[in-house]
Amino acid sequence: METRRCCALLWEEAVIYFTEIQNLPTYDVMGAYVGRVVDLGIDPNQNALRIAAYFVETREKKLVYVPREQMQSITVRSAQTSVTRAEIHSNKTFGDLLRVRKDVLDQQVIDVDHRKVVRVNDIDLEIQPTNGHTELRVLAVNVGLASAVRRLLQGLTAKHTSRKISSFIPSRTIPWEFVNLIEPDASRRLKLRISYERLARLHPADIADILEELSRDEQRSVIEALDHETAAQAISEIPTEKQAQLLQSIPVEKAADIVDEMAPDEAADVLQELPPETSAKLLADMETEGAQDVKDLLGFEENTAGALMTTHYVALDRAATVENVIEAMKGFEGSVESIHSVYLIDTEETLLGAVPLARILLAPARTPLQELSRGEVRSVRPETDAKAVIDLFRKYNLLSLPVVDDKQHLQGVVTADDVLDLVVGRR
Amino acid sequence: MDRKRLASFRKRLLIFLAVVGPGIITANVDNDPGGIYTYSIAGAKFGYTLLWTLVPVTIALIVVQEMVARMGVVTGKGLADLIREEYGFRTTFILMICLLVADLGNTISEFAGLASGMSVFGASRYIIVPLGAVLVWALVVKGTYRFVEKVFLVSCVFYIAYPISCFLAHPAWKESVESVFRPSVQPGHGYLYMIVGLVGTTIAPWMQFYLQSAVVEKGIKLKEYVYSKWDVIVGCVITDVVAFFIIVACAATIYASGHREIRDAADAALALRPLAGHAATALFAFGLVNAALLSACILPLATAYYVCEGLGLESGINKRVGEAPTFYWLYTGLIALGALAVVVMREQMQVPIILLSQVVNGIMLPFVLIFMLRLSNREDLMGAYRNTRAFNAVAWVTCVVMILLTVLLMGAQFFHTVPA
Repeated sequence: METRRCCALLWEEAVIYFTEIQNLPTYDVMGAYVGRVVDLGIDPNQNALRIAAYFVETREKKLVYVPREQMQSITVRSAQTSVTRAEIHSNKTFGDLLRVRKDVLDQQVIDVDHRKVVRVNDIDLEIQPTNGHTELRVLAVNVGLASAVRRLLQGLTAKHTSRKISSFIPSRTIPWEFVNLIEPDASRRLKLRISYERLARLHPADIADILEELSRDEQRSVIEALDHETAAQAISEIPTEKQAQLLQSIPVEKAADIVDEMAPDEAADVLQELPPETSAKLLADMETEGAQDVKDLLGFEENTAGALMTTHYVALDRAATVENVIEAMKGFEGSVESIHSVYLIDTEETLLGAVPLARILLAPARTPLQELSRGEVRSVRPETDAKAVIDLFRKYNLLSLPVVDDKQHLQGVVTADDVLDLVVGRR
Repeated sequence: MDRKRLASFRKRLLIFLAVVGPGIITANVDNDPGGIYTYSIAGAKFGYTLLWTLVPVTIALIVVQEMVARMGVVTGKGLADLIREEYGFRTTFILMICLLVADLGNTISEFAGLASGMSVFGASRYIIVPLGAVLVWALVVKGTYRFVEKVFLVSCVFYIAYPISCFLAHPAWKESVESVFRPSVQPGHGYLYMIVGLVGTTIAPWMQFYLQSAVVEKGIKLKEYVYSKWDVIVGCVITDVVAFFIIVACAATIYASGHREIRDAADAALALRPLAGHAATALFAFGLVNAALLSACILPLATAYYVCEGLGLESGINKRVGEAPTFYWLYTGLIALGALAVVVMREQMQVPIILLSQVVNGIMLPFVLIFMLRLSNREDLMGAYRNTRAFNAVAWVTCVVMILLTVLLMGAQFFHTVPA
């Protein structure tokens, strides 16, 4: 019985929702009316989880500030400060703070945990008595039905009644640490320490899904805040025309860095989508080596093997051994996951053979690759129609297919993921 | 030199064709069965005398739609998104409920239009309405945005049926064109009601939501905004040119042969038969069916966009059903209910629902217009693309007039039957 009462009390007073704090009447230490709470501020540079300041609107519509140390107590009914009204009026404004109502409530945020974009219905705060005054800690944002119902009832019924009603409805919250705010203004992002660290750890395909949910400015802000490599991987996962839109909305230098990090075939696809002058600018801004790789690919007709292939592959001299393969892989520029076979070439770059990685794994370190290579290698010309390429992949269950010119010189490699994209119509 | 100019013109035309869509489609849906009926009755009862109202109607439509398209291009967000961020959850939610109610009524009237349009060809509503519903549903659920938009644009081309039908009616061209530029007012409340009906039904809340979401989903870039503007202007002009032909066709036949009461748009089509021949009737009815199908598709779509944006759920034709379940369920539900109502209910029972939806539309419109005006003046949202002073003046006048007319129309519907 005792414990239950205690729980009820806790439930009543330990967690408070932002919508309950909104318009909370505030009194000073003498009990004189100060005004109503209109917003809360968080100072991420001090403590990203703590409410640093209360924005109170007086009867005369003047905005005054109460720093957290001056807040004596907060309940669902009222707030009381530990100083007089005159002192509150003399408080200075704060620098740039993260504003709960302005920046979080009703805005879109990224739920890193569920890998999607959601709209915030409410914010859960915890009331913590701390040496003589009361602090609020941000626990979570509320996105579920319960908070929606609470918002609808706000001001129409007593707060306890709204709580009662909404307690019967399933509620969905996202812990504050999994919430990524989207701030289009770069300088403010820096000031408020909004980082996309957690987001950057997601799989690029998930980041791409999230990007597609956002409006253009929001996309730009996320892309600008990610490191080049993550951004490149994520952008590689979205449809080509949207890639072009995105790259056009960010500064050229940043775009060039991102395109540099993309696989050459992906980069070439994007550059072909962009207006010629923009592509030229990007190519000029890229590192020479990367730019050359991409330029080599730009000349090919759409829907041919040449347009599908990448110039990032591992090709070794026919005298090479298994050991050399491992060295070559270590020095490989692109993503190693895309390597399925190692190609054998002569000094003229003529394609002589191909060895699947799996067989290299099983062979002793000194084995020459030539022994592992199986007779004829299947290859196509750059001008081969994409449909024919797809058929070859399907028929022979290929993971990669080398592309050679009329003199059998290795030009590039088509990999299965590009073919799959083509089949399901992402390009 | 000339060749250069030609090349640059070609390039511009190509960009325009790539951007074109949302504006033209949204404007054309304004000529839904209800709209067609309003124009028919205007021509049938008052001859050419009401044609002048098309000029202010076109201007009003352009002003409002341009504002919305601009907001979509600049912010990259739908109107519901913006309203939610600016005015909070409750306002958005109440609007959302209103929109749902209004659009359910609207959807019912679109399917009713489909049924009566096909009845001219002797088809049974019990077959046609479910068939139409499935067709419209499958298009959006199975299609991609690009494909769906192409189908909508083709549907807009089919409005050509009205000009052809009008030519068959041999109207007095000179008189009709002159009437467009000669405002006239006749005594009698019937005429005034008709003006209110014509102008008041031009701008509906759902249109703004559809247009902005479509612009966003299409991903039109800021650089292309100029073309988007032309998309809106061309769309509004085409729409009202079609309206002109509808009024003229009815004026040249039904009005000229002595006053005739017409109950609905299909009636107007049938009334053309003795005066302009079978072909004119068939074309008129075909236009009606096409209009009904197009708007039966777009109204539920606009609602689905709106509700999902407001609640922060995923939306868009490009999403798969699994990615945006609420979006597709809403769309499906509205179509199913709308079609079912037409098949099951008697006409007398549909009337109060359609009337209610008109009233809700009327109540919502002032809010939506004022929200739009305030949002498009916000510097932090729109930056350099804010409304100019001159534009604001025109827009406010438009909105105030629209709001007044809507209130009058609602009042009129309760005390007097005017076409809606």
